[in-house]
Amino acid sequence: MPPSIHPIDLILALRDKHLTPAIVFLTSRRACDEAMQAFDHSQILLPPPRQRAIADVLDKVIAQYPSIAEHPLIPTVQRIGVAAHHAGHLPSWKIAVEELMRHGCLDAVFATTTLAAGVDFPARTVIITQSSIRKSRDFMDLTIGEVQQIAGRAGRRGKDLVGFAIVTPSPYIDLNVLTKGFTGHPEAINSQFVISYPMVLNLLKAHPLDQIQPILAKSFAQFQLNQRAEVLERKLDDLRDQMEPYGPRVCTDWITEWQTFDHVRRQKSHRAPVRRHEPPEVAARFHFLTPGRVVAFGRTRGVVLRQYRSKGQKSPMITALRLGGGITESPASTVTEVSDRVLDCVDAPVYPWCTPESVEELLHHLEELPGRLPELPILIPKDDEPIPDAIVQTLGDFACPTCPSRSACQRDYPVASKLRQEQHRHVKSIQALRTSLWHRFQEKIDVLQQFGYLTPTAHLTEDGEWARLIRIDHSLLITELLRAEAFNGADPAMLAAVMSSIAHDDDRPGAFPRVSSGLASLLGQVRKLAASLSPHEDPPLLRADIAAVTERWIGDPGLTWIGLCKSTTMAEGDIYRLLARTLEFLSQLHTLKATHPGLADTASRAIANLRRGVLEELP
Amino acid sequence: MTTQELEQLLAQQPIALLHRLARGRVQRHFRAGKRRLIEVLLRHSAENRPGFESDLMTLIGEQQARPSPPPPPQTPAARKPKPSAPQRRTTHRPVEPESHEPAITLSSWLEGLGVPPTKAFIPDAWQEDAIEKLRKGDVVVSVPTGSGKTYVAVEAARRAIAENRTVIYTSPLKALSNTKYTEFSKIFGPDQVGILTGDRRDNGQAPLLIMTTEILRNLLYDAGGGEIDVRLDTLGLVILDESQYIADPERGVVWEETIIFCPSQARMLLLSASIGNPHDIAEWITSIRPTPCHLVRHTTRTVPLRAGYLHPNGKLTPLFRTVGIPHGHPSYLHTEAKRLFIQYEDETLPSRSRR
Repeated sequence: MPPSIHPIDLILALRDKHLTPAIVFLTSRRACDEAMQAFDHSQILLPPPRQRAIADVLDKVIAQYPSIAEHPLIPTVQRIGVAAHHAGHLPSWKIAVEELMRHGCLDAVFATTTLAAGVDFPARTVIITQSSIRKSRDFMDLTIGEVQQIAGRAGRRGKDLVGFAIVTPSPYIDLNVLTKGFTGHPEAINSQFVISYPMVLNLLKAHPLDQIQPILAKSFAQFQLNQRAEVLERKLDDLRDQMEPYGPRVCTDWITEWQTFDHVRRQKSHRAPVRRHEPPEVAARFHFLTPGRVVAFGRTRGVVLRQYRSKGQKSPMITALRLGGGITESPASTVTEVSDRVLDCVDAPVYPWCTPESVEELLHHLEELPGRLPELPILIPKDDEPIPDAIVQTLGDFACPTCPSRSACQRDYPVASKLRQEQHRHVKSIQALRTSLWHRFQEKIDVLQQFGYLTPTAHLTEDGEWARLIRIDHSLLITELLRAEAFNGADPAMLAAVMSSIAHDDDRPGAFPRVSSGLASLLGQVRKLAASLSPHEDPPLLRADIAAVTERWIGDPGLTWIGLCKSTTMAEGDIYRLLARTLEFLSQLHTLKATHPGLADTASRAIANLRRGVLEELP
Repeated sequence: MTTQELEQLLAQQPIALLHRLARGRVQRHFRAGKRRLIEVLLRHSAENRPGFESDLMTLIGEQQARPSPPPPPQTPAARKPKPSAPQRRTTHRPVEPESHEPAITLSSWLEGLGVPPTKAFIPDAWQEDAIEKLRKGDVVVSVPTGSGKTYVAVEAARRAIAENRTVIYTSPLKALSNTKYTEFSKIFGPDQVGILTGDRRDNGQAPLLIMTTEILRNLLYDAGGGEIDVRLDTLGLVILDESQYIADPERGVVWEETIIFCPSQARMLLLSASIGNPHDIAEWITSIRPTPCHLVRHTTRTVPLRAGYLHPNGKLTPLFRTVGIPHGHPSYLHTEAKRLFIQYEDETLPSRSRR
């Protein structure tokens, strides 16, 4: 069985059940194009009257937008009544398809999910073939809101009694995502407040610095932060109730008092032997189990080669050379006797922990030792020493040791201090939530002051006055380029080319015409500057191939749209969008007439050259 | 029995039987799906093939000897089950408590398909409600896609124009702005509608101006800086279409700025697709603007929606057991759709794993 339904079968099934017109959402532009190709030689033709209706509508659209007259999809659209509609197409083609759909001429449109969010043209049926979409290079499951937006295209008001959303499986589909999307409640939306440089400049132009914070407080971002802060505040109230039994005692702030006291006490006790869970005799003996020491393990005798503490073992460990030549690792507690004899041995950092010669020697000595050896007299301390008086005296500044509530403090301290820590944490995060926007704003102010767009008193400098008019992405890079006079002497084509490489943020590959040497060196400069600004602003892609496309279009007024499309592998729609965005960037530069007349003039000439052919057709 | 035969035999067995077979053989077998379980079992069977096969045979024998369908409460267990394949298939699926309600048929699912008789347009209650509430203050409308938000926008604009006020309508995309420009020009007449985009300005003195949200934000900034670019003093209504864009990672901030700086004498009408927290938006706008903001929310679609499942072989079935969408019950799948989808997975997944 094929992994997914063939487009022709799909159309036949839909026609059979009277489910047309339909929008078929496919994963990629390529899938849409392939679906259209599948109809190339098929004979599932529309009845002639409907073919004529399509031709009529198309004629009207072509009269308005001549650029699509030769569109390669037109024959298929007319014969079969299906069309493709995705971001790779020219807007005029998309308008044509939308117009056809609105007239009910088509049976199906193959589209990508971008359509769901964009232009609205409904159909009787929506076909869903995927459960995830590509978002910034990653495939993500559709959210409930997105599934409903896609399914929402089904059912035209006034033309359909019911709408149908039909799932047809393709590889990688997850039915659960879709069924949840159909039946679920859409997700809550969250603010995406980003503070940009132009925003800071424009706000400071209109308001003095001390009025900014109340303005930021009006944002939806702050509204949502406040909501979160309120949740924390409720938690804080709970904590306060829980802290009730741990209120003031003999001293008002007994928790801190006890904490310091405990801390000092612990520091003092560092000098005392480390307490481990080991019997006192083992601990006492351990100090004497040094390399060369003769010890007895029950009946056998041995020489200690090294001692160590291992995390895996509870008691301290020793490595010993036993009579007979075996080298063993054993807990210090297995030592039954510590003799007063120490044999000479030369240490080594690796097994057998002493030089091979000394192993021989030690064994030899061990054998020669007499049967009985005097035992080392080791003083074994008694358990549970009381805190020496000396310590109590140095802790004399604290009232705790003699305080009547000492035992209560000691008992409650762990719980109380935990609660208090939590309290502090909440207080801090509430503070952060309340002031984070303002801090982010101040960070931007600092950068703008550093670059000289703002005075130290946060007023706009001369440069700031014009820089605030550049309200597009990568505004800092553009204004810095202007200040560095990078475009002095640049012709319109070069200016537009650089702007387009700044504007373009898509990394779809595209083969490209050659870049002129002047543009290449200018782009090099821009790249260097962008890299130096990268701590303050994410650098744009600055693709040379993109710049070259724009340079050709503007530099060569004789170039036709077809010619431009042939020089690159970029899709028509992408080129169009690139040029349209470049136009937007250029018109921002054009607003700087007052301060940069030369640049504004170049920009307006670039705009004039840019707006021709296909780009002139549309508003 | 060859491995392939064994695999086929296993594939024919219900999952419950496979789990019983896996018990004691495979660790954490309850986590595995059928496909994975078969794979693991086969790998495991290599060690003790005869033992495995005999266990399988006893289990299959037991399965057939036992009256396989759990007798439904209405009919006593006297009915003898036929060991035919399709029936066996249905019995293995976990029986859901709602399943006594018979699933709908394809014909009843398709019923009602067609064109409604043309009748005079009567606005829905929520549309009237939204327009009415706009007299008292700002309004946030959150309704499913395709419910007729545009009608609210048009009516609201008509009323504001009648009062000699300027109306600004913004949409997130240039293409949408252009569509609306043509649409509104048809409704209000070409001299009444203007469009402002980054580089183009048509009929900028018209009472109804269409622009992208970015343009409006820039206008508001310039007004704040003292340079008035458009007649903001006569501005009576700002319509922000597709205002769920406020959650867009890159452009969402523009909607916030627009709402914050919108002149206080103008009313705001936010049109949004269904979102989870429209009351938050309304509450927020109430908190920053002089007039209270009302929420108009509507969850049922004007044109009811039905979900279907189309198998690659061209077979169409309803997706859910009910005719409409069973809201809140994503697992009310139609048995046929479920069977076909499992079959699809069975047929597509192994071929991929073998590659």
